[in-house]
Amino acid sequence: MSSVVDASSLNEPVVIVTRMLDAPRSLVWDAITDPKHVAHWYGGPGFTSPVCEMDVKPGGIWRHVMQAPNGAQFTINSVFLEVVEPERLVWKTIKDENRKPAPPTAVNTVTLEEQGGQTKWTLVARFDSIADRDISAGMGFGKMIGMGADRLAEHLRTM
Amino acid sequence: MPADPLSATLFALSDATRRGLLARLATGDTTVSELAKPYDMSLAAISKHLKVLETAGLISRGREAQWRPCHLEAAPLRDVFEWLDSYRRFWDSSLDSLADYLAVMQRQGSGDPGS
Repeated sequence: MSSVVDASSLNEPVVIVTRMLDAPRSLVWDAITDPKHVAHWYGGPGFTSPVCEMDVKPGGIWRHVMQAPNGAQFTINSVFLEVVEPERLVWKTIKDENRKPAPPTAVNTVTLEEQGGQTKWTLVARFDSIADRDISAGMGFGKMIGMGADRLAEHLRTM
Repeated sequence: MPADPLSATLFALSDATRRGLLARLATGDTTVSELAKPYDMSLAAISKHLKVLETAGLISRGREAQWRPCHLEAAPLRDVFEWLDSYRRFWDSSLDSLADYLAVMQRQGSGDPGS
């Protein structure tokens, strides 16, 4: 990469990934929401999932420990924000305070669109903390199970 | 304010005005008043945005008393682009495995494939 920053690369920090999957949408939905299935593909070739627990409902927790081919383990825990079977799944990663520096948290939105017998899988991952605040406020405190309303209110006051 | 450098950079980039300020500085150093010109916003408001960028290490300020030119620091941007890229690669890789796994699921009739 040259030392001069390409101004056109200064876009909103969003990652967008799309893929056409050769399977019907209901099957893809199962594959991405049933932990028995998710453990088989998450992380890619050579990765395993020693821990994969998913409580797929708004406020439900997704606990995941991923193991790399070299044995290194990574914990990624998330909370589901929206679950609209079979078309939309939204989850937010939970900051891992044990890792220094902790990786940025993301709000991940996966949408599934039926196209013929295939499924278009689209991920939009947003990383800014302003989005975090909007999502938290829009959700309603009662739905953030696992945080507790008092801790959430206190957290929002600090933002 | 986020604690780690990547989150600080991502927070800085999350605002359209700040992205515009960085894009301008990518073409060369300049003063706060020059930077403020295209915006319908007070100098104080622009300065607040510049402070966020400075705190994230994305810009540095010259020290001359009369004018303090702003300078784009590329390293934090490179770091965040690399990180965003690794996030994309994680998903590309996972999707490769998902595609293979969906084929297995369909061959086995979409029931529990077992271990």
